Amino acid sequence: MNIPKLVLKNITRRKARFFFTLLGITVGIASFVTLLSLGGGLKNEIKKQASELGANLIVTPKGWCAYEQVSVLTGEQLPEAIPFDDARKISAIKGLTAVPYLTERTAIKNSPLPVIGILPEEMKIFKRWEIEKGDYFSSQDENAIVIGSGIAQQFKLNVLDKLTIKGRQFPVRGILKGTGSKDDIAMFMSLSVAQKLYGVGDKVSFVAVKVDDISKMDEYILKIQEAANVAVVSDKQLLRSVLSIVGTVSLTLQLIAAVAILAAAFGIINTMMTAIYERRREIGILQAIGAREITIFKIFLLESGFYGLLGGVIGIVAGLIFSSIASPYISQNEFTAFMKGSEMAVTFDSKLIIGSLLFSVFVSLISGLYPAWKASRLSPVEAISYE
Amino acid sequence: MSDIIIKTENLVKTYNTGKVRTYALRGISLEIARNSFSCIIGPSGHGKSTLMHLMGGLDGPTEGSVFIDGADISGLSNSELAGLRAKKIGFVFQFFNLLQNLTAKENVETAMMFSGVNEKTQKEKAKGLLSLLGLSEKLNAKPSELSGGQQQRVAIARALANDPEILLMDEPTGNLDSESEAEVLDNILKLNKDGKTIIIVTHNRDIAKMAAMVFEIRDGRLVDDGKTK
Ligand SMILES: Nc1ncnc2c1ncn2[C@@H]1O[C@H](COP(=O)(O)OP(=O)(O)O)[C@@H](O)[C@H]1O
Ligand SMILES: [Mg+2]
Repeated sequence: MNIPKLVLKNITRRKARFFFTLLGITVGIASFVTLLSLGGGLKNEIKKQASELGANLIVTPKGWCAYEQVSVLTGEQLPEAIPFDDARKISAIKGLTAVPYLTERTAIKNSPLPVIGILPEEMKIFKRWEIEKGDYFSSQDENAIVIGSGIAQQFKLNVLDKLTIKGRQFPVRGILKGTGSKDDIAMFMSLSVAQKLYGVGDKVSFVAVKVDDISKMDEYILKIQEAANVAVVSDKQLLRSVLSIVGTVSLTLQLIAAVAILAAAFGIINTMMTAIYERRREIGILQAIGAREITIFKIFLLESGFYGLLGGVIGIVAGLIFSSIASPYISQNEFTAFMKGSEMAVTFDSKLIIGSLLFSVFVSLISGLYPAWKASRLSPVEAISYE
Repeated sequence: MSDIIIKTENLVKTYNTGKVRTYALRGISLEIARNSFSCIIGPSGHGKSTLMHLMGGLDGPTEGSVFIDGADISGLSNSELAGLRAKKIGFVFQFFNLLQNLTAKENVETAMMFSGVNEKTQKEKAKGLLSLLGLSEKLNAKPSELSGGQQQRVAIARALANDPEILLMDEPTGNLDSESEAEVLDNILKLNKDGKTIIIVTHNRDIAKMAAMVFEIRDGRLVDDGKTK
C-alpha cells in the first residue's frame, strides 16, 4: 500500500459524486482552454493578416481612434471617408505608392461580404495579384467584378456567372488566385462604379501606402499630413491596436472562464467536505493505526489534487477539440469575419496545455487545503467509538 | 528494562458536551506488567474504552499521566503520539473498524505503510500474518465478504502488523457469536504466549478468568486494582 494508491481507492467510491465534481472542473478547464486557444489563434491570424496588408501606412479620415482604425482590417464600414482629391494629392508625393479604395458591403445568400472599389491596375500591381480563372478588368470603369478564390469556392461561382449587388447585375470577370488574406473573401469592382453604385460621390474609405524607404516612415507621415487633411497610421501601430482590442476581448472571456473554474473549485471543496464528514470514522481508524496528522492532510489534499489532474487532462482535450470545431463558426462573427479568408489555425501550443494543467491542479489543491486541514484535525476517539 | 510497561497516575477524563460535563474517569492509577495478559471489566458506560484510549495515546487525559516504558506520553506532540501508535501499540476494537473499501490484505498493509515499511515487505508480512490467523484464503476479500470472526481476525492481523509490544483490545469478541469468539480468543492467547502485552476489555467472565490481572471499573474508578488476584 502507498498513499497514491489509497487515494485512488478512495476517490472513486462515490461514482456519481466523483463524476459530477470531475465534470465541474473539466468544464471549467475546457472553457478556459477553448477561449485561450481561440484567442491565440485569433492573434496569430491577425498578425498574418496585417503582414499581408501589403502596405506600410494606411491613410484614414482625420481624427479616427484606434478602434476605428481597426476597421481597415475588419472591413467594417464607417461613415467618414476621404475625398478622392486628397488621395490624388497623396499619390503625388515622391517616394511612395498610394492606392485608394472604398470598402462597402453586400451579401450573397445572406452572408455579408465586402465589396471593394479599387483602381484596377494600381491595386493589381500593389497587391501583386494573379488571375486564377478568366480575365482581369479591361478598363477603369468596367461594369464587372473580380472575386477572391474563397468566395468562388464557397458559393460555387464561376467566370461569367452573374451576381446582383444593390439591385444591379454584375458578371464575374475573373477569379483571383488565393492569397491567404482577406482578399480571398472579397469582391472587387472599379472604384468609380462602386462610388456610383453606393452613392458616395468621390469619397474613398482608405488609402494604402507603400513607401520606398522604410527608414523614413516618420517623414512620409508628415508629408502625407501636409498634403491632405487626414490621419496616418503605420501597419505596426495598426497591428498593435487590433491586438490590444482582441486582448481586451479575450481577457473578458478568460475572466468568464475563471468564474467557471472558481465555481468548480467550490464544487471540489463541497465534495471534499462531504467526503470527510462521511469518512470521519475511517479517518479515526487511520489515526488509530498510526497515521500522522500530516499524512491525513496529504491523503485528502492528494485526493482533491487528483480532481484537478484528471479534470485538467480531460478538460484540455475537450477544450482543444471544441476550439477546433468552433473556430470556423467563430470567424463568421462580425468582429472576426475578416479572418474567414484563410482557415484559422487553432493554436495547440504546449505552453497553453502545460499551463492549463498546472492551473487546474493548482486550483484543486488550493480547494483541498481547508478540507484536508479539517480532516487532519479530527479527533479519532469520537469517530471510532460508536457503530 | 522495567517490568512495568504501562503505568497510569491518577487519570481523570471529562467530556464537555454542551453545558453537561461527563466524568468518564475519576482518577485511575494502575500498572501493567510487561508480557502480561490483563483484563478490564465493568458495566457499560463506566469508562473502560476511555481508559484504553488514554493508555494507547489515542486521546489525552484531562488530568494525570500515562507512562509507557517509563516515559510520560502526555508531553508528546500529536505526531509523536501517532508514531507511538504506529510502532508500539496495536488497537483492536469491538466494531472491527476495518477500512471497508480495502481488502483484508490491504488493511494490514496500510498499517505498515504508516510506519514506513516498504511495499514489498508489507505484502509479504500481511500475507504471513493473515495466514497465521487462518485467513490465507481470504487475502483479497473485502470486509463485507467476511464473517464477524474473520473480520476481527483481520483486525488483529492489522494490529500485529508493526510488531507492537502492546495490544489494546476493546471488547474484541463483543460482537461475535460464541464460535467466532473462541476462535479469536484462541489467537489472543497465542499472542500472549509469544510475548505480547495484552490488555483486553471484556464482559466475558471466562476471559477474565484467564487473565493474570483483572481491573474492574465502576463509575470511572477502579474497584479492583488487579493486585488482588
Ligand atoms: N467522545 C465522548 N463525548 C462525550 N462523552 C463521552 C465520549 N466518550 C465517552 N463518553 C462518556 O464517557 C463515559 C464512559 O464511556 P466509555 O469509556 O465509552 O465507557 P465503556 O467503554 O465502559 O462503556 C460514558 O458516560 C460516555 O457517555
Ligand atoms: Mg466501551
